[in-house]
Amino acid sequence: MKLTDLFKEDIFVVTGEVGPIKGALSRDKSKVPQCVKEAELLKDHVHAVNVTDNQSAVMRLGSMFASVGLKNRGIEPIYQLTCRDRNRIALQSDLLTAYSFGIDNVLLLTGDHIQLGDHKEAKPVFDLDSVQLIKMARKLNEGYDLTGNKLENPIDMALGAVVNPNFEPLELQLLKMKKKVDAGAEFFQTQAVYDEGVLERFMNLASRFNRPIQLGVVVLKSPQMGNFMNKNVSGISVPQAWIDEIGSVDKADRKKKAAEMMGRFIGKVKHMVQGVHIMPLGWSDIVPKILEYAEIEAKQAA
Amino acid sequence: MHATIQKPIDEIVSFIKPGEKVFVVGCNNCAWKCHSGGEDETRKMAERLIKRGVDVVGYSVPGPQGMSLCKLSNTRQVLQENYKEQVNKADSFLVLACGQGVHTVIDATDGALVHPGCDTIFGGETVSENEIEEFCSLCGECIIEYTGGLCPMTLCAKQLLNGPCGGAENGHCEVDEERPCGWIMIYERLKKLGRLELIEGYLGPKNNAKWSRPRSLRVSPTEATFCSIAGRITVSNQD
Repeated sequence: MKLTDLFKEDIFVVTGEVGPIKGALSRDKSKVPQCVKEAELLKDHVHAVNVTDNQSAVMRLGSMFASVGLKNRGIEPIYQLTCRDRNRIALQSDLLTAYSFGIDNVLLLTGDHIQLGDHKEAKPVFDLDSVQLIKMARKLNEGYDLTGNKLENPIDMALGAVVNPNFEPLELQLLKMKKKVDAGAEFFQTQAVYDEGVLERFMNLASRFNRPIQLGVVVLKSPQMGNFMNKNVSGISVPQAWIDEIGSVDKADRKKKAAEMMGRFIGKVKHMVQGVHIMPLGWSDIVPKILEYAEIEAKQAA
Repeated sequence: MHATIQKPIDEIVSFIKPGEKVFVVGCNNCAWKCHSGGEDETRKMAERLIKRGVDVVGYSVPGPQGMSLCKLSNTRQVLQENYKEQVNKADSFLVLACGQGVHTVIDATDGALVHPGCDTIFGGETVSENEIEEFCSLCGECIIEYTGGLCPMTLCAKQLLNGPCGGAENGHCEVDEERPCGWIMIYERLKKLGRLELIEGYLGPKNNAKWSRPRSLRVSPTEATFCSIAGRITVSNQD
């Protein structure tokens, strides 16, 4: 199922996210990898689940394989593909392969820099940037590779992109967003936003591109996490009020509190966006509660 | 200029076998500016090696200040004529210069054994006497007309050609909070110049074949030919 089909029907699109495990799939089939357990918790509450690509440049199980794994379990994956580790040949080949495995949605990103990860001496590739990557994927959809050679069978994937509403100067981020739209991006997921004003200012400027935008939220689990993200996670800003509120309850009650806070925020701003992308960072079990607080139901396509 | 930094002395000494006779060569241009292989550093290197028991048979920084070691004709003449006696005694040459300079010594000595005394780190601008900064990655396909003269291949950690990633924080790069985001620099500069439209256009993928190694340039007073695996590109400078 392509996410773009849902957007076309004006369905508020709800997606979650899992990160593949640090390790291989066990030959012992009774051992279910953590990312699958998390995705199973999301299954009946979201339309699709993003599968991250060696996120934060930490080496893990591949996003394509994990995406296929979810698909086989009846969970719609959004396969994330970054420019960091692959040149244009590998990027195209991976898209052909992913489509051949049944994957319908791809999120095309630059990728975090290698310096943020656990193999700091690796060679950063960045042969293409995200705009060029989107344009390349559109050409594959149209039946041609990057150099114009005809494909035996084209792919047919919904092409997603990312944008950061927190970015200053915003005009520069919007300039890049426009390039992504022109290149062929069909929907957007935002970086995590915690501030209604930031989202409003962004949406007022970005709605002119006429592409569905999903608000990105990262579940805030603790005040420590808020402080950590402010210090270490690029492009995310957690307001002090959020940090104080999650810190106002005991550890045992944080999941409940986090669900309430996230749900309340999403509920308040959902009218501005065409969907929400929840990044639970392991707390997939509270996603149903978040959606309940936000009064959102992942409606099925007609 | 080619920025170089001396290798640690212990590493340099480890290259030299017991009893090996070494001739030290510096460069009176870039390495001089970097204090990695000018006249003072070359003489000093000879002393430091002697102190550590290395048999140094001579040293030279070929040519006057401003003369590059990588100008083969000069280096060959100085080593083979002016320093003929010491050079003939040498088993090897320790070169305090960039990798081009090291190769120039190979050519100038008709294939002698060489040791690199420096790490060649980048091509840069000599911003001040004690500051060298990198602004060009020598990619072979210059796109800075569209970025206000600031190169995103060099100033952006991800070498992005169509705008910033989402990672900048307070105007700084996600890789290094000490340094500004290259794309914000480009944006601010073009905004000030009233030329923001320059970055609105799409820039396609780089032709990495022009960045293949090794590359060469054939020059004459009237035209030049750039040779890489992208092919031969000849340009006239006459009209």
